[in-house]
Amino acid sequence: MLRSLRLTTAIVLLMIVPLVLAACSTTGGKKAAQAGNNVAAGHANTKHYTIAMITHASPGDTFWDKIRNGANAAAAKDNITLKYSNNDDPTKQAALITDAINSHVDGIAVTDPNPQALCPTIKQAVAAGIPVVMFNAGFANWQQCGAMSYFGQDETIAGIAAGQRMAKAGAKHVLCVVQTQGQIQLEERCAGVVKGFGTAGTVTKIYVNGTDNSAVLSSITAKLTQDKSIDAVITLGAPYALITLQAETAAHSTAKVYTFDTNAQLVAKIKSGQVQWAVDQQPFLQGYLSVDSLWLYLVNGNVIGGGQTVLTGPSFIDSSNIAKIAVYAAAGNR
Amino acid sequence: MTQTAEAPVAPPPRADERVGRKSPLARMLARPEAGAIAGAIVIYIFFFIIAPPFRSAASFSSVLYVTSTYGLMATPIALLMIGGEFDLSAGVAVTSSALCASLFSYEFTTNAWVGVLVALALSLLIGFINGWLVIKTGIPSFLITLGMFFMLQGINIALTQTITNQVSSPDISTLQGFSSAQKVFASSFTIGGVNVRISIIYWIVFVIIATWILLRTRVGNWIFSAGGNPVSARAVGVPVARVKIGLFMAVGFMAWFTGMHTLFLFNTIQSAQGIGNEFVYIIAAVVGGCLLTGGYGSAVGAAIGALIFGMVNQGIVYAGWNPNWFQFFVGALLLGAILLNTYIRRRAEASI
Amino acid sequence: MSTPAQDPPGGRHRATADAPSAGNGNGGVPLVKLINAGKRYGAVIALHDINLEVGAREVTCVLGDNGAGKSTLIKIIAGLHQPSSGTYEVEGTPVRFSSPREALERGIATVYQDLAVVALMPVWRNFFLGNEVGKGLRMDIPAMKKMCKDELLAMGIDLRDVDQPIGTLSGGERQCVAISRAVHFGAKVLILDEPTAALGVKQSGVVLKYIIQARERGLGVIFITHNPHHAYPVGDRFMLLNRGASIGNFEKGQITRDELTGLMAGGAELEQLSHELESEGGAAAEIGRSMEADVEELGITGQHDAGTDAASAPARQEGSSHP
Repeated sequence: MLRSLRLTTAIVLLMIVPLVLAACSTTGGKKAAQAGNNVAAGHANTKHYTIAMITHASPGDTFWDKIRNGANAAAAKDNITLKYSNNDDPTKQAALITDAINSHVDGIAVTDPNPQALCPTIKQAVAAGIPVVMFNAGFANWQQCGAMSYFGQDETIAGIAAGQRMAKAGAKHVLCVVQTQGQIQLEERCAGVVKGFGTAGTVTKIYVNGTDNSAVLSSITAKLTQDKSIDAVITLGAPYALITLQAETAAHSTAKVYTFDTNAQLVAKIKSGQVQWAVDQQPFLQGYLSVDSLWLYLVNGNVIGGGQTVLTGPSFIDSSNIAKIAVYAAAGNR
Repeated sequence: MTQTAEAPVAPPPRADERVGRKSPLARMLARPEAGAIAGAIVIYIFFFIIAPPFRSAASFSSVLYVTSTYGLMATPIALLMIGGEFDLSAGVAVTSSALCASLFSYEFTTNAWVGVLVALALSLLIGFINGWLVIKTGIPSFLITLGMFFMLQGINIALTQTITNQVSSPDISTLQGFSSAQKVFASSFTIGGVNVRISIIYWIVFVIIATWILLRTRVGNWIFSAGGNPVSARAVGVPVARVKIGLFMAVGFMAWFTGMHTLFLFNTIQSAQGIGNEFVYIIAAVVGGCLLTGGYGSAVGAAIGALIFGMVNQGIVYAGWNPNWFQFFVGALLLGAILLNTYIRRRAEASI
Repeated sequence: MSTPAQDPPGGRHRATADAPSAGNGNGGVPLVKLINAGKRYGAVIALHDINLEVGAREVTCVLGDNGAGKSTLIKIIAGLHQPSSGTYEVEGTPVRFSSPREALERGIATVYQDLAVVALMPVWRNFFLGNEVGKGLRMDIPAMKKMCKDELLAMGIDLRDVDQPIGTLSGGERQCVAISRAVHFGAKVLILDEPTAALGVKQSGVVLKYIIQARERGLGVIFITHNPHHAYPVGDRFMLLNRGASIGNFEKGQITRDELTGLMAGGAELEQLSHELESEGGAAAEIGRSMEADVEELGITGQHDAGTDAASAPARQEGSSHP
């Protein structure tokens, strides 16, 4: 039987070959996507540098893909080798920063979701003569940590803006869906929503297991079924907005869907009106500016921002500007 | 065989006075599923009382959906545990299969069904490798599949990132064959106003098939013996190695099926998905009466174990409890179910 | 029978090079015959010059203490290993088994010490393990349960419930199930590996009963044990193993139980030991002398006189365990 098992597997594999040759799809797929483009901007002939980018991305969080795309685009333009590493555990992220210092990189771009754990190590990098810029997280005290510039958005401000817009749209009971426990920016967003929503009604928070789509779907469906008074749902990541749409069908809910951050599929939903708007902090820009600003410092001594935060958001992507954005989103950059 | 006399000088049969008659109730309680059924009833009544939204048919459909996403994998895992082995890579294997189908058909712009077939071949291969390594090296399957778990986890994320520059799989909804595959693997229908997902039906069908194989076929006999006492089984001619490899490949097959359901329901797969689920499958099987040491258990029991997990998972949300307590409640309820299971079985074996 | 033998050099036993010829009830051809069989593992000689045979309706007992080579012998007959020298014949034709399955197909069934049963599974599932009855994939469960019950009944056990896990049966009953399983599936030769080793007196008696049952049903039984008191009542032939060699092949009438015990207990060695101690002198000599006296009294000198069967010597007790 073992021989026939091997035989069966071999047959199955052999079947694949002709199928593959015969069964190409005329729609969709990579061929279609390659019509889109990168933000390519030529190639500088300045000295070659190495820059380390260290983030707190959790494995599988698609938001960071856009930051990396931006960083890669800038690195390609500036003749820079980009070394990217990430860990959502602050102590391990600190260890990665130390690795970068010991590798004598020319610049460090870092996120700081946990200043107590990370600031000391960042200060060591500065003391070793490595220029540091911060982005995406660490809004409150990036200057004390020794960074030159900060690129990002104030999550609280973004949350307030979102809450205010939802109140103006007439929502009475908002459900804020949080996909990971213990991440400061996510908590700040929901807290901002509560503030911005103010007296217009109530905001309920729900935690879901962000790495398991089925669990997310079921939890949101259950919540919408349990509480019929929910008329607005705001998610903190684009994939979760998409799942919320599926949950609403199952729960027969008519709540309006809003979200932070976008991706290519979400843009289509904004176009069709299923999602009202997305709060965009332009992650591509954060990655791009982080690398580019270090390059400018290294080749020309420039510092961007004058000691102030360089805001990349919030901006709202809605039906009014969706057409243009859709093209960039399709390329994975918005 | 030469017999010169017909049943010669057979001593008069002596009924064994130590074997008493078991009442039908005691027989039922001695079944492996008994504790799980009792636990499930208790939990259902519990949430029925404290969570009004739990009572509706629509909510129960949602409970059954969560149950089916765990139950589809808990079934082959239960069979594997009865056969005396573990598979800790089962959770990420589902994601590997889904990613394989998605990335293959996207990168080569093929019909979605081509990706489906390639993923099937890959999943069966992973199962075969797991089984073959366990048999050839004699190292406990716990360790072999733990290694496979880490490897698949890394491959899932790293390969996806290398190929697509992203940590989730690309959008394949525009490929030809997607909608037909979606109908097969991830459709839903309405019964009396209630939305029912097709995975529930598939789950029930697979549980029935697995139970039939286990109890009514000779392969089932071999599975029990391979787990209960593989040395004895080999001695009487049971092909233990083939049985075990076959069981690992069955886990691979169901990982493929579950992966296809997930892929065609959500279109994109997060490459870090699935981690942690392998323990849910094992817990569901143990709650359903499977011994960790093998040789005893039932597929129906594992199905009920998955149902318990689904009810707890959704019931907590319906009850409006603080979600931070979720992990604690799951652990406590499961511990309770296992203790109840063991208690009932001991009582049943002691009673006459 | 020959006259009382002079002590051959090197031992006080009458060793015969060939086994007495076998084969009543089968036209004279023994079911299993080993001729000068031997087994070596590298430099280790586990067995050498073994002669053994068993015919239909016969019980051949293989006796020996631990380390005598019994388990190697079983493995050769059962087909797990092949002999490195000598011949292994089944029903007159030389064979070379490459797996236990092949031996099983020739009708040579082994009941191992651990019985090859799965404790958690019901009796009927154990009975048919590896030989399930059914059409295609499906098993015919009612038929199997009935067959199992009937077979056990024929061996003298009435199990009301063949669904109970076999682990709940007593040791003797489990042996019975294992034996009747082998008998049912057409075994011609049954090899029993120390079936009474872990059992109490009453249970052992039960097992001996089943051995006789099997013999009466026409099988040849190879009964391996280190207990001569169990072997003697049921055996038609006896072979003694010691350190990988045969130290005697006897038929029933050729040896008494005490002589058998004596050969096994190494009466010859005890006597030599007592002489050693006596030659030491002093306290050791005391012990040596009392040891020699015990050996004389118990009659385990290892000396075997053909003419002194039932009539002579003091400390002989006739056992009561005839079935």
